Order: sequence, then C-alpha cells, then structure tokens
Amino acid sequence: MHDVIQFEKVSFRYPDEEKWILENLSFSVQRGERVVITGPSGCGKTTLLYLSNRLYPDNCDGILSGSVKLFGRDSLSFIAGEINHRVATVFQDPDSQFCMQTVEEELAFTLENLHVKRDEMEKRICEVLELTDLTEFRHAIIQKLSGGQKQRIATACALIMEPEVLLLDEPLSHLDPYNAKKYVEWLDELQQKRAMTIVAIEHRLDLWGDFFERSISLNKNEVAPNLEKRRCSIKDDASLVVNKVQTKSFLQETTFVLNQGEIAVLAGPNGSGKSTLLKALCQLIPSNGAVQPKLLGYVPQSPEFLFLTKNVRDEVGFGGGNNVEDMMTRLQLLPIADSHPFAVSHGQKRRVAIAAMLTDGRQVILMDEPTSGQDAQALSELFQLIDERACEGTTFLIVTHDMEFAYCIADSILLMNDGLLTGKFEANEVWVDEQLLLDHHLLPPKGMMLREECFA
Amino acid sequence: MFAMAFFFDPWTPLVFWVGVLVLQVFFSQIDWKKWLLFMLPFFVTAFGYFWTTLVFAEDQSGPVIWTIGDLQITETQLNHALSLSFRVLAFSSLSLLFALTTNPVTFILSLMQQLKLSPKIAYGVMVGYQFLPVLKDEFVQIGQAHRLRGAGGEKNALQRLLGVRRILIPMLAGAVRKAERAAFAMEARGFTGEQRSSYFQVISIGKVDVVLIALFLFVLVLSCTNGLWLS
Repeated sequence: MHDVIQFEKVSFRYPDEEKWILENLSFSVQRGERVVITGPSGCGKTTLLYLSNRLYPDNCDGILSGSVKLFGRDSLSFIAGEINHRVATVFQDPDSQFCMQTVEEELAFTLENLHVKRDEMEKRICEVLELTDLTEFRHAIIQKLSGGQKQRIATACALIMEPEVLLLDEPLSHLDPYNAKKYVEWLDELQQKRAMTIVAIEHRLDLWGDFFERSISLNKNEVAPNLEKRRCSIKDDASLVVNKVQTKSFLQETTFVLNQGEIAVLAGPNGSGKSTLLKALCQLIPSNGAVQPKLLGYVPQSPEFLFLTKNVRDEVGFGGGNNVEDMMTRLQLLPIADSHPFAVSHGQKRRVAIAAMLTDGRQVILMDEPTSGQDAQALSELFQLIDERACEGTTFLIVTHDMEFAYCIADSILLMNDGLLTGKFEANEVWVDEQLLLDHHLLPPKGMMLREECFA
Repeated sequence: MFAMAFFFDPWTPLVFWVGVLVLQVFFSQIDWKKWLLFMLPFFVTAFGYFWTTLVFAEDQSGPVIWTIGDLQITETQLNHALSLSFRVLAFSSLSLLFALTTNPVTFILSLMQQLKLSPKIAYGVMVGYQFLPVLKDEFVQIGQAHRLRGAGGEKNALQRLLGVRRILIPMLAGAVRKAERAAFAMEARGFTGEQRSSYFQVISIGKVDVVLIALFLFVLVLSCTNGLWLS
C-alpha cells in the first residue's frame, strides 16, 4: 500500500497516431523513492510523466489501456487539478510554465489553489523563497528572467505545495554546469528533510552523481553512439576577425580571431552575455567595432524562426545561391526536399538552417544553444553535422552549457563573464585549469576526468 | 456611456466630456503626453464625424446660420454634428480614463472577488495577458532572423505588411503550443476552477471607490440634465 504511483500493463497512444507510444508498461514507485526515467527522445518519457500527474489522457484525448493508480486510487477518478495538490510538476520548457506575472503572484496562485488560509500564505512564501535562495527575485517579473532562473522558480512553485511527489522533466537542461550541480545537492538535502518521492526524466545522468536509487529505462534497444573527441581541422587562414565589438549597455569590448575549419565554444554562467555577443556579431543588435566578414550565418535556438518559404528546397535556395542541389545532397536533405520546413524534425530543421546559411555564402556559423533539450541520439547527429561542415572549412562558434559536448567538439574555448570576454583559450588548456573553470561556473567534462584517471 | 446614446443635443456629451476630463485632471496621475497621443486618432475621427454630418445631413430644417460657398448649414445640422463629435470624444476619453488608470491584474482580481467572476475566465485572461511581452520578444527575434536571411528589408509599406505575415505564421504556430502548455501549467499548479476560499491579494472596496462612483454619477446626471440649468 506504499505505492504512490503504480502502472499496470499501461499502453498509451495519441488519438491521431497509429503507433502505441507506451506499450504494456508496468512499474511502481514507492513513497520516498528517487527514480529516474531514461530513454531517447520520442520514446514516451514525457508522456509517462503526464500520465503520472493526470494531465493525460484527458487533455489530449489519448487512448489508454491498463490502469494507472495514484496513491492507490485510479487516476481517472480524480477531477482535473485535484491530484496536482499532492503531485507537483516542473516542466521542461522554462517559458511556458507560469501563469502570473511576478514570482510572488505565481506562488500565491499556487497557495490559493490549495485553499491555504491567508495568514499562512505570507509565511510559506517567505519560507520557500529562503529555502530556494530566491528571496531577491520575489517581486521580479518572471518573463524577464533567464532560463536557468525560471527553472529554479518553477521548482520553488512546486515545493511551496509541500507535495508528496515531485515530478521533474529534465530540470537541468537550462542550467549551467555549476548551477546544475548546486541544484542537485540542494534537491538531495531537501528530499532527505521532507521525505518526498522524486521522479525525474533525464538523459544525462553524469551531473546527478549517485542521486537516484533506481532507474526505469524506456530504451527501445537503440543505443546511441558515444561521442568521441574529434580531430582538429583548423586551417591557417583566418575566417572570422572580430575587432573591438561592443554594445552600448552590456557587452564590453571584444576582440578575437577564428580560423577556417575551427570550432569554438562560447561558454560562461547564465546571463553572462553569450547570446548578446552572437547577436552583436551578426549585427542583429546595434554595436560598435568591426567584424570580418560581413555575412555571418546564425542559427537561433529555434531554427524555425529563420524559415521563410513553403518547402525545404526553396528554403535552402532562398538567398539565390547556385549550388542548392549540391548542398542538399551534402547535408542529406534530398529525402525531405518537398516537405514544409515547419513539418520536419528538430534535427532536420537545424540541418536546413545550416544548409541555407552555407548556400548564402556564409562560411561562419554561429549557433545559440543547439544542445539544450537534446538527447544522446540528437547530440550525436548534431556532432556529426558540425564535424562534417568543419572538415570542409566552415567555422563554427557555438554557445552551449553542455561541457561533454564542448569537450568532444571544441578546438578552442571562448569564456565570458558579466559581459566581458575573458579570452580565447586552447580547449585542452581550459579543461585542466580548475580555477578558470570555477570562475566561469563550469565543471570539467567527465570524458576528461576518466582519461586523467587512466593516466594516473 | 450607454445613456449618452439617447441624447442628440451637443451640450450633453460636451458637459460629460469636460466632466471626465476634470475628474482625470484632479484625481489621477497620468502621462498627458501619452494621453494626447492616444486621443489623436479620436480627435481626427471626431472631426470626421463633425464634417460629414455637417455636409451630408438629411435633416436640413431650421434657420441657416452659416454659408460656405454653395453650402448652407442650418442650426439642426450644426447641433447634430457637434453632438456626434462630442460623443466620440466623451466615449474615448472615458475609455482612456479607464485604460490609463486601471491595473489590469487588480481589475480582474476585483471582478473575481467582488462580482464573483468565475476563476476559470479570470485566470484565463490573466495568463493571456502575461504572454503579451513574450509574444513581443518573439516578434522581434523572428524579425531579426528574417533580416539576417535578407528578407524584410522592403521599403514599400504594402510589401512590409505582407512581410509581417511571414512573421505571424511561426508566431501563431508557437502560440497554439504555448496555450496548451499554459493550460497544463495551471492544472499542474493545482488549479481546478472552483471558487477560492481565500485570496493572497485582497481587493476591497474602500471610501475612494464610493467617492469616485458618486462623483461619476454626479457628472452623468449633470450632463443629462443640462437642459434644466443651461437654458
């Protein structure tokens, strides 16, 4: 009777799809357990989570067979929102999990839903803000905060319910490695204090250490290839020369040079100005200084923002380049040439965006957080894409928090802090300089540490 | 506002308009530059009403008081024209008084707490409201991305308008996704749509509200009864 979540022979599919996304799944989670759900994207991790807090099947008209029991009761016997008084959820996307404008209002909204008495509210809000170290953000407007900060606030909103079960959907994907480690430590402490049950979705377990007691794998027997450190492809000619670029308010004077075929990673704490620098470089925001060449390729976190036409072929050829067919062959876009660019997968969208940039004659590609929210399979695809392009002489500047990925792909690392570029470093030097990493809220990648142990 | 629709003399809406302005001058702190900017289109509309009613009036009875070229304007015509244009001004300034001095969040909260508006509707509106700045940012970002691709540099106003369509499609696609997730978020916070037993931010009706209602009714009565004290 101590099972808080119990799935018995559960199968689930979306109304407009033939394929069952979950098939004959049985497991149970007991009170106070820490469980992680792993598996590649599209294998039904999030669906599983939504079944555990009763958002599904009602909200998507999905077809469910088998039984889902929450606290020993059939999940369908709860009314909408009722079970959520005991099961709190932190969603993956930091932009769309808030209902109110300020942090305080959001917390109060949660308490009102729980029918907490008014005199108690103030106390509970203060407590949870102190606990999560967010007191300074009490009156902040949520939408103006960074992704990492929003994720912490979402956790605070979940905790103020004093839930019995906490569901987390990739809570670390928007945090820099330093903050991610702090988040895990803090969750660990909290779980021991409150004896909550924690169920999390995560495909990168390295940051969690030995936090989880048990893992449920939804793997469909497709093992994603491990990333391996790539061979450097730097050529001698400079391809991106940045001279004294700065913006009026935040970004301070920045000067660096990247060579042809070089892959550079731009890293630094949340809110240190990485995206601002990228935008200043491609003149999307007003800035002083000189950038050579004038035409830079830029791929935002949502590549579909770039799309202008109705099919992939037109999209790639939009700038009027003449090697469209050749480029589409090289980037394996021919099978989807006639699809609408909005209708292809996320990885393919990015491929289309890069192909379009390259046919435009933009030989330097800037990418803003291409790794966030990507599973191992998608990361390996991204790695391959960048690696191939770099070997053909394209220069990359990539913003990422994923140090494993950076370790495997980067020739050089640009570090930023508070709007100031600390400098450009050889990748291999950065990973061993602990002080430098700590100053920029970074942790050495695991691949690196493993190797050191081998040598020791 | 509704009462105004039954009066056709120029004085009623004029007195009402002046009354609203007086209220605004003495009891609110607003940015008058912003007010003028918002009022500008209404001034234009009011003048448009004035002129068209003057020139194309059906009822041309009464003594002629003004002649411009071939055009003869009678007293009835002038009265109707003034009445209509002042009505536009009265309505718009009243709306602006509301829009510029009311915090939308407290307004919705008050509707819910005083007038027992269903929380489902109230919170639905509030969630929509807090998405506005996000949509604005997204609009700018997509615009930037399109400019980078060499689109969106059109000089021609019509072409630029057509260009906006290209920005709106990805935004709409995103909005549908956002709306769904916001609904999930509300449910995940334990929102069931039932009446709440207590509020964190209590909006109560105070003396000020009563005084304002009294003042407002006074202005309304004063303008409706102008026939009695102006003649």
